Formats: sequence, structure tokens, C-alpha cells
Amino acid sequence: MTIARRGFVALGAAGVATGLGLRPGFAADKTIVLGCSLPLSGPAAPTGISTQRTIEHAFELINAKGIMIGADRYTITPQFYDNKYVPAEAVSIVEKMLADGTKYLFSTGSGNSVPVVQKTTDAKVLQLSGASGKDHLTGPKFPYSFRVQPTNETAYAVYPWLKTSYPSIKRVAHINPSDEAGFTESEDRRMIAEKNGFSNVGNEYFKRGSTDMYPVATRMAGFNADMIDFGGTIGRDQGLAVKALRELGYKGQVLIGYSDAKSFVDIAGPEAAEGALLFDTLAEAQTPDQKELVDWWLKKYGPPFPSYAFLMWDWPFMLAEAIRKAQSIDPVVVAEALRTTVHHGIFGEEKFGMKSVYGIDCSLTRQIPMSIIKGGKPTYLATIEWPAGV
Amino acid sequence: MSGRRECDPLNTTLLLQVVLSGLVTGLIYMLIALGVTLLFGIMRVVNFIHGEFVMLSAFAIWFIGVDQGWPMWVAIPIAVAVAAAMAVLCQRYLFKPLQYDILNCFIVGIGASFAIRSASWAIFGPEPQAIPAMLPGVIKLGGVFMAKQRLLAAGVCIVLAIALYLFLHYTRPGKAMRAVEQDREAAMLMGINPESVYVTAFMISAALAAVGGAMLGSVFGVDPEMGAEPLLKSFIIVQIGGMGSIAGTVIAGLFIGVADSVTGTLLGGELAFIIDFAILMLILIVRPKGLFGYDV
Repeated sequence: MTIARRGFVALGAAGVATGLGLRPGFAADKTIVLGCSLPLSGPAAPTGISTQRTIEHAFELINAKGIMIGADRYTITPQFYDNKYVPAEAVSIVEKMLADGTKYLFSTGSGNSVPVVQKTTDAKVLQLSGASGKDHLTGPKFPYSFRVQPTNETAYAVYPWLKTSYPSIKRVAHINPSDEAGFTESEDRRMIAEKNGFSNVGNEYFKRGSTDMYPVATRMAGFNADMIDFGGTIGRDQGLAVKALRELGYKGQVLIGYSDAKSFVDIAGPEAAEGALLFDTLAEAQTPDQKELVDWWLKKYGPPFPSYAFLMWDWPFMLAEAIRKAQSIDPVVVAEALRTTVHHGIFGEEKFGMKSVYGIDCSLTRQIPMSIIKGGKPTYLATIEWPAGV
Repeated sequence: MSGRRECDPLNTTLLLQVVLSGLVTGLIYMLIALGVTLLFGIMRVVNFIHGEFVMLSAFAIWFIGVDQGWPMWVAIPIAVAVAAAMAVLCQRYLFKPLQYDILNCFIVGIGASFAIRSASWAIFGPEPQAIPAMLPGVIKLGGVFMAKQRLLAAGVCIVLAIALYLFLHYTRPGKAMRAVEQDREAAMLMGINPESVYVTAFMISAALAAVGGAMLGSVFGVDPEMGAEPLLKSFIIVQIGGMGSIAGTVIAGLFIGVADSVTGTLLGGELAFIIDFAILMLILIVRPKGLFGYDV
């Protein structure tokens, strides 16, 4: 029985072992397969599932028209794999995709995207990532890698706006998960905050998916910051951390992004969430195109509409436009077409830029919507234009 | 790896805050671990589905109490009853056919756990939910803050731990459980039916998980993954405290809660699990049967 007891813990640890989840797309005469590595379970699943549903619909619309290359009609078939936001899972998934001959990859989370970018570059696979990762993910070394969602890059737009819209904020503390996304977010956001005249008074990391946020919140509350920037903190972690901070007496501003605003309020509680600023979050549709997406979601999945869906809507159309423009399905040719594609989407003019930062146009630039929690509800606050020269 | 540590140095207020936070969290983990240790002590079954009972109960409470708008005093007992019923089904149709073999039960438990979790993502959707605090607000004592809901959760956990102890030591079914735990054959000779004891044990274990789900859900939110970390903590707590030992589970639960809180606050949250496992390894080397465990 002693062996059984010792084995008990080993078996417990083994219990975290997980499998891959695969969902097939639909068939077409000529098909471009897009492998999608997303967190469809685990703490980051809310964004992963919202992303899956959104891009499935985008490709339905794209495929209804088809992509004509010469006389051939192509459709794009997304194949979804669950990476659980575990980098080792993500690497296995991409290795399988490469072995299967997949030439297009979509991946979310820098922890899942950065470890595979050298492999996709070597295989000349077009990698589209909703991830931070800075120049570890995009740059001249990775010419087929594109960031389809501004992540830490949003700080280039948000901090100048904060400086004029919230002049009382001077001291900023940063909290991020202790992984690739968190480290790069923290590094960039501190650098950009400082460049804009803010004082960085604290910087902490936590284990993504932690249940109890009191320990890290206790440290954060001790910084006496005017604002806490949650950077790469996503999903349930945001709500739990803000709730813990408020319970521990923190009265300052909080800045969060990347997640569904309503879920954030539900988890944090309306009182704790009140006044929180939400970067790159569109809480309420402002244009007919945005309203159309909301209406589709509500009709198909019912309420609530996850505001994160807005952020994932446009890039499939940009990919389709680039393939059409390139008149080729060769990822190398499509990558160059994508680099110069200008798309008019739900956030106005969108294009890949940031050559000044990364040395190559590779990261999506567009308007950054801002929202605020007012009266316990996510409310539209402002739209920030992408800063000139970035 | 970690960033700057610019927090105030450890002072009395911070120490009190950290210890109190740890005790409260440790009590919630302890409640869940009690269900794990009860089943292992009596049946030598490592119930990996226990975390899913926590999660499903929390969703049941959210559905009845929040989505449907029924009072919480109705929602929680219904969730407890549902969890107990599910536990009986698991006992009868999963573990009994495997003759309670530890390895087989564990493997089946893992499979069932992932199946339940995956189904939950499909059924409940991607948005995390929350059970509103039954006691909203924060208490401030000196410089120490604590949410009233956390204190309520801690109080409930203490009451249930005492109730479990009294049940096992002063009631007939409780004594029957302890008899089966000590010597199954001798208990049978005394006219005790082990199968009925097992059913009762599963029901109590699931009921503890259900109340744990209510407490966790109101403090940490509700989603399909919510049972995973508490279950892992439970395994650590049960091993440190000693398999089957109620007292050991209580003490180890509080110890791990405070250790996590101190480690997380002073050294960073990413180190908490490392410290947990380091303590566990030390205990396994020095005292393999745990602090209050015994040879079987």
C-alpha cells in the first residue's frame, strides 16, 4: 500500500496529460487548409472558443464567394486544434500540421506561437498569430509570420491617449502571466509607458490560470499605483485579479484588454469592475458592420456577444484578399501580397505595418477601441487612431 | 524571470494579511480534500472525478441560483443532492465494476474527468460565470482586508469539517465507515455491509465537493476548469496530511494554504506550486505515510 500511496501523487500529476482536439472544416473542390492552433479548453478557452466561432463564420462568408485564382475556385478550410494554451501541445500540433503538409497556420497566444515560428519559417508556412511575442515572432528573420491582432503594440496607441485623457495617472504598475506573453507584454508596456512620461512603480507576474489571486494582488496593492496595467492577462484571471485587488483595498485605475468585457464584469463583480478601462475592446457596436456581426452571433449562439469576436473578424478577409491579389496559393507569394494589402474592415483601414519597430511590415495596425465599465456594464468610450510613424 | 519586487518589506500588517488569506484559501482546499481522503481511507479509491463534482455543483448552483433566479438556500441543497446522485452513479457503474482497484479506478477517473470537462465546455459555453457573494463587502481590521464572502466560505468549511468528524466518530454509519476503513473483513463479520458504506462515503464525498463548489464558485468564479487546481492541491494536501486522516487533511490544508500565500506574496505566485511539491517530496522522503497517516 505504501507503493500505492507514493503512486497516488505521480498518478495525480499524470492526470494533467491531455489529448488533441480536432474539428474538421467543410469540403470544397479546391481547398486551402488553414491549421488553427487555439486554446479550446483551459483557462484561456473563452477567447479560443470565441475566436473559433468568429473565424468559422468569416470563412463561411469568404467561401460562399470563393477565391478565384485564374479559372480555379478555392475555399479556405479551417481545421481547429486545441492547444489548451500549453506551449508543448502547440508545438506538437504544429509539427503534425507540417507533417501533413499544411501551408497556412493561425495560432493564438505568444506562448503557443513563438516556439513554432522558426519551424514554420523553415517550412515556408504562412503563420498568422493573434499573439504578442515582439520580434521573437515577427521581423525580418520570419518573413512569413504576421501578427493579426495588435497586442502589446496597442500600448503605442493607448499610453499617449491615457496621458491626455487621464492626466492624473502618473504611477503605473504592471501585472502579467509568467510566460512568453506576459514577459513581452510587460517589457514593452513598461518601455512605452516610460517613453510617454509615466513612472513604472511595480511589475509582477503570476501563474496563468491561478485560482487564488490574493498573493499577487497583495503585492500589487502595495505599490500604491495610480493605475495597474494588466497587459497580457486574459480570461478569468483578469476578473479574479481585479476582484482580489479591490477586496484588498486598491482604489486606483485598472487597464485590461483582450477579453470579453461582460465575462470580466461577471467574474470581478460589478463593484470591483466599475471604472475599469478596457483597451482594444469594443463593448458596443458602433457601425453597421459591427452590428451585423453582433446580430449574427446573437442569432446563432445567443447572448452574451463576446467583444473579443470583433478583434478576430477582419484578418480572414485580409488573408483571402491577399491570396486573390497574389493569384497564387504559394505562402511565400501570399505573404508578400499580404504585406501590402489594405483592408477596410470593422475598424476602418487596416494594414500590416510597424516596420519602424520590427524592421518589416508584419503587425496589424488599425483603430484601437476603448471601453469602460460604467454602472456595472461595459460601455463604449473612445476610438484611438493608430499613431503616425509607428 | 520575475520582475522587480518593490512591495513594502514584510511587516506585521502584511504578515497578518498573508496568513489570513492563506488560512481562508487553505480551508476551502481542505474541504475538497476531505472528500478525497474519505474515499481513499475507506475504499482505497483515488477519485479523479472529484474535481468535476466541484465544477458541476458550482454550475448547478449558478444555473439554479443565478440563471433561473432561485434563492441560494434552494440552489445549494439541490446541487448537493445532484452531486450525491452523480456520485452514486459513478460508484455503481464505474468503480464497483472495477472492484475498486486503485490503478483501474484512477485511469477510468481520468478519462471520465476529461469527458465531463469537455462536455461542460460544449454545454456551458466559453464564458466564465460567477456565483454572487452571499455576503458582499469587505471587512477591514487595522490594515488587514478580507472579503466577507471568503470569511463565510471559511466558516462553512470549518463547520463541515467538524460535522464530518462528529459523524465519523459519534454516529452509527460513521462508525461503520471507520470499521470498514480499519478492517473490511472484520467489519463484514460484525454485520456491516461494505457496499452500503461505500455508497454513503461516495455521497458524503460528493456533498463536500458540492459545498466546496459553492464556496469556490462564489470566490473564484465558475468555469469547466475550476475543479482542476483544487483537485491537484487536494492530492498534495491528502498526501502530506496522511491518506485517510481527517485531522491530517485539516492541518495540511491550512499549512498549504498559508505556504501558498506566503510564497506567492513574498516570492511570486509562480513559485507556490514549486514550494508545494518541494514540501510534498520532503514529506514523502521523511515520512512516506504523511503527517498523520498510518500503515494499512
